[in-house]
Amino acid sequence: MKIAEKTESSSRAESSLRGRRILVAKPGLDGHDIGAKIIALALRNAGAEVIYTGLRKSAQYIARVAIDEGVDAVGLSILSGSHCELVTQVVERLQEAGAGDIQVFVGGTIPEADHAQLQAMGVRGIYTSDMPLERVVRSLAQALN
Amino acid sequence: MPPVTTASDQTPLPFGAASAPTLDRRGLGRRLSALANASTAEVMALDAQSPPYRPLAPRIGLTGSPGAGKSTLGGRLAVLRSLQRRVGLLAIDPSSPLTGGAILGDRIRMDEVAGIERLYVRSLASRTSADGLAPNISELLVAMDSAGFEELLLETVGVGQVEHAVHHQVDTAVLVLVPGAGDYVQAMKAGMMELADIFVVNKSDLAGAAQLVTEIQGVLHAFPPPATCWLPPVVRTSVSDADSVAELSAAIDRHQSWLNAHNNAAQRQLQRQRYRLRSLLERQLAEMVSALGPDFFQASLHQQVQTLAKSLQVGFGSLSPLKP
Amino acid sequence: MSSSMTAEPRLAQTSPSGIDVPVRVGSDAVRADAIGEPGAYPFTRGIFEDGFRGRLWTIRQYSGFGTAEESNERYRFLLDRGQTGLSVALDLPTQCGLDPNEDMARPEVGKVGVSLSTLAEAEILFKGIDLGKISTSFTINGTAAIVYAMYLAVADKQGVPRSKLTGTIQNDILKEYVARGTWIFPVRPSMRLIADSILYSNTETPRFNPISIAGAHVRDAGATAVEEMAYTLANGLAYVDELLRRGGDVEKFAKRLSFFFYVHMDFFEEVCKFRAARRIWARLMKERYGVVDLKAQHFRFGVVCGGSSLVAPQPYNNVVRVAVETMAAVLGGAQSIFTCALDEAYQIPTEFSAELAVRTQQIIAYESGIGRTVDPLGGSYFVEQHTDQIEAAVLKVMREIDDYGGVEKAIEDGWIQMRLAERALQRKLNIDSGETVVVGQNHFRNPDEVCTPGEVFRLDPAAAGRVIDRHQQVLQTRQQSEVDRALKRLGAAASQDKENLLPYLVECCHTYATVGEMVASLRAQWGEFQEPVRL
Repeated sequence: MKIAEKTESSSRAESSLRGRRILVAKPGLDGHDIGAKIIALALRNAGAEVIYTGLRKSAQYIARVAIDEGVDAVGLSILSGSHCELVTQVVERLQEAGAGDIQVFVGGTIPEADHAQLQAMGVRGIYTSDMPLERVVRSLAQALN
Repeated sequence: MPPVTTASDQTPLPFGAASAPTLDRRGLGRRLSALANASTAEVMALDAQSPPYRPLAPRIGLTGSPGAGKSTLGGRLAVLRSLQRRVGLLAIDPSSPLTGGAILGDRIRMDEVAGIERLYVRSLASRTSADGLAPNISELLVAMDSAGFEELLLETVGVGQVEHAVHHQVDTAVLVLVPGAGDYVQAMKAGMMELADIFVVNKSDLAGAAQLVTEIQGVLHAFPPPATCWLPPVVRTSVSDADSVAELSAAIDRHQSWLNAHNNAAQRQLQRQRYRLRSLLERQLAEMVSALGPDFFQASLHQQVQTLAKSLQVGFGSLSPLKP
Repeated sequence: MSSSMTAEPRLAQTSPSGIDVPVRVGSDAVRADAIGEPGAYPFTRGIFEDGFRGRLWTIRQYSGFGTAEESNERYRFLLDRGQTGLSVALDLPTQCGLDPNEDMARPEVGKVGVSLSTLAEAEILFKGIDLGKISTSFTINGTAAIVYAMYLAVADKQGVPRSKLTGTIQNDILKEYVARGTWIFPVRPSMRLIADSILYSNTETPRFNPISIAGAHVRDAGATAVEEMAYTLANGLAYVDELLRRGGDVEKFAKRLSFFFYVHMDFFEEVCKFRAARRIWARLMKERYGVVDLKAQHFRFGVVCGGSSLVAPQPYNNVVRVAVETMAAVLGGAQSIFTCALDEAYQIPTEFSAELAVRTQQIIAYESGIGRTVDPLGGSYFVEQHTDQIEAAVLKVMREIDDYGGVEKAIEDGWIQMRLAERALQRKLNIDSGETVVVGQNHFRNPDEVCTPGEVFRLDPAAAGRVIDRHQQVLQTRQQSEVDRALKRLGAAASQDKENLLPYLVECCHTYATVGEMVASLRAQWGEFQEPVRL
């Protein structure tokens, strides 16, 4: 009789983020949170442990939560146009605290013209609101696994 | 109602900065993540490398049903107590049985947290644990202990089974109820005593708060503990009332003093060691049993047990070091 | 894209709100005597008996944003061209009650609107513009009472009698908590502030519309048409209750309550949604509040055609969408219509697309003739049945909110927010899978299409600096003792539940107190809203 030594979760697409801890954050003053909430739910449905910060969080707060919670990735949702400044702030805080290895992703209304600048800052993925959720989850899973 | 004041000052730690190790937040964050994911073999390997299991930091447990406002209360309490000491707050949320994922910290988040050096907040998913706590909770609490925390708050959702599990893990168990929980109180009756060391009626600005307090006190007095035991107080709180949170904190202080005076630390330690071992074994067994196919069950029950026992020994036999 | 999306989509059996749509509807679906007449209670067919022939709907245009000086220049240009209405967007710091020099504010100063931190900025914004001759609409909520007070202060300084002022402040905090996010204080004191501003406006600026109760944002946030209407009507009732509590006369204040909604693509759902709403509101006013004056029973509303129903791929499709939606708005009897430009989904509208948006309304108004007679769809078997069904569905959701404990509790607990998030996820998944058809995006795509995004708004980086410098200057040149006194009086009045706060706010504005200072004064009394994060 054979007995499996350990049951591992299957790598179905639905659980592609199992075991991953992800912070979904709303920096700045932008009050549109539905995109962030949809992503948080989709990530949860893909097996991730998700923390959603709520609105209007400072870069210090976001970095602190990311570090204390030991997340693998931070997703910043920004629809106010201030993505460059806000992403810079968060990335700097993470690096200052020795957490530059926490991957940063950005979602929302991000004009293509700014993609290169964000990528140069170290942003690993940029997800605009029209992207299918399945694609977002797959892209994240690839980056994190 | 005036807003709750935040702890922005950094009064010196009671035993002086020199003896308290500086908190490596990033390191601790990663260690906790690794521990949360650790297999039973990894847990055992880690234990082999560590000093004997001797948890020191006083632990406070906070339980109650969803909607009791316990998370906000827990947050305020943690902030308040971090004025005097380094506090770690561990909050457990249920994982989705379908997807294995979880929305953690699905609760009111306090902005003040970011600016307070002595406060550390960690959210955990209950995952596959049977009792509603998180897997390896014992290890996680010990890791917090080793990181120099002087007090740990453990917050979970749920009533019943979870409460008993929490009670064994903590020194001071606080049960949070809200107006409307009268039926529950009546149902528990004599069992109330075992549930908690401190009862809290939260959202005390709502109608029915005074009545609930009376009901709880009624039950507690109907089945009074022996004179040598602690009589749980009932505290009314409201998150918009900073004084009420201070009152809860004072009740916790009183209980901690009582515990120190009555010195049953050894008993609690024993309970925790038993829990820790049992969880480890339960987890390992659960994993193994869930992988068993129909062929396995062709054999007699006696043989099934024998085979499993042997596999257990083999399974625990390979000790590989825990990856950082 | 899944293979199902190359196949021909099927016509759905239910409306997007989930109401069953029969293949055929016959005369038995309608009770002719229950339909009513336009201009007569319960106004299913329209609030005015002569409809658009009496007065065409207002064609709203949306002015851009920028610094106060740039906006002032633009306003004066538009006013010279014959426009009589201005719409003012405020930047996020102003909306959230922060001064431009605060840390969280800095990256957002002047980006999505004008920074209006003190009366000095407001004076620049309206320099050389006679407030007595124009109508100004402010999209402002958390700090609406303050911005309104500032407007009054500018008028005072111009010597314009307050009775001549016209315009709107959105001033709808309940939807902020669930869909737009510029809340500041907890629910109860925010309601008090709104009631104060409405009652004050009723007497001081009787031609001003002190609230525009919005359904649009919850629609964007994921609500169905039925939920959009139900949440919004429930919010409306909450405001009425608060106004009554503050001593208002419903016969009077109800006349100045108005609403606005999105119009999305399901044509009959939108038309019937508005017909049902008129009936529901009139009934509630009459039966629950005993309102007798017909005008106070009227459900007045404006609409936005477009929003999240427009997409970037194959952008010219959006012209068609907006046209269809405009027709639904007209047949639904809207009092004002704003049409989105075809490229709004991905860039600042060009002059071409902005003009086309206005032409769309003009073509429908003057060429199609559908507005010639009131409620031309009235009596249609399907339309009457669908109106009845939407009415029932809306009332059901409103009852659920009541059963929960009312909107205020539902919002404080995060119950509505959670429902919206679930809906939004479902909607997104339906679009991703192609079950909800979006032509050009998930069906009938052009595989070689390349979306070349155009101009996006770029604020001159020096502009924010100038705003902050001016702000600092005001701080230095004003009379600090006057400011302190005024703020203290504001705080004292706020700590009690008795007096109307508007006169205190106007007084503060006159001393050049900042928005941040006024908000801090109120926050010291009321605390801050604790966002319930529930998913």
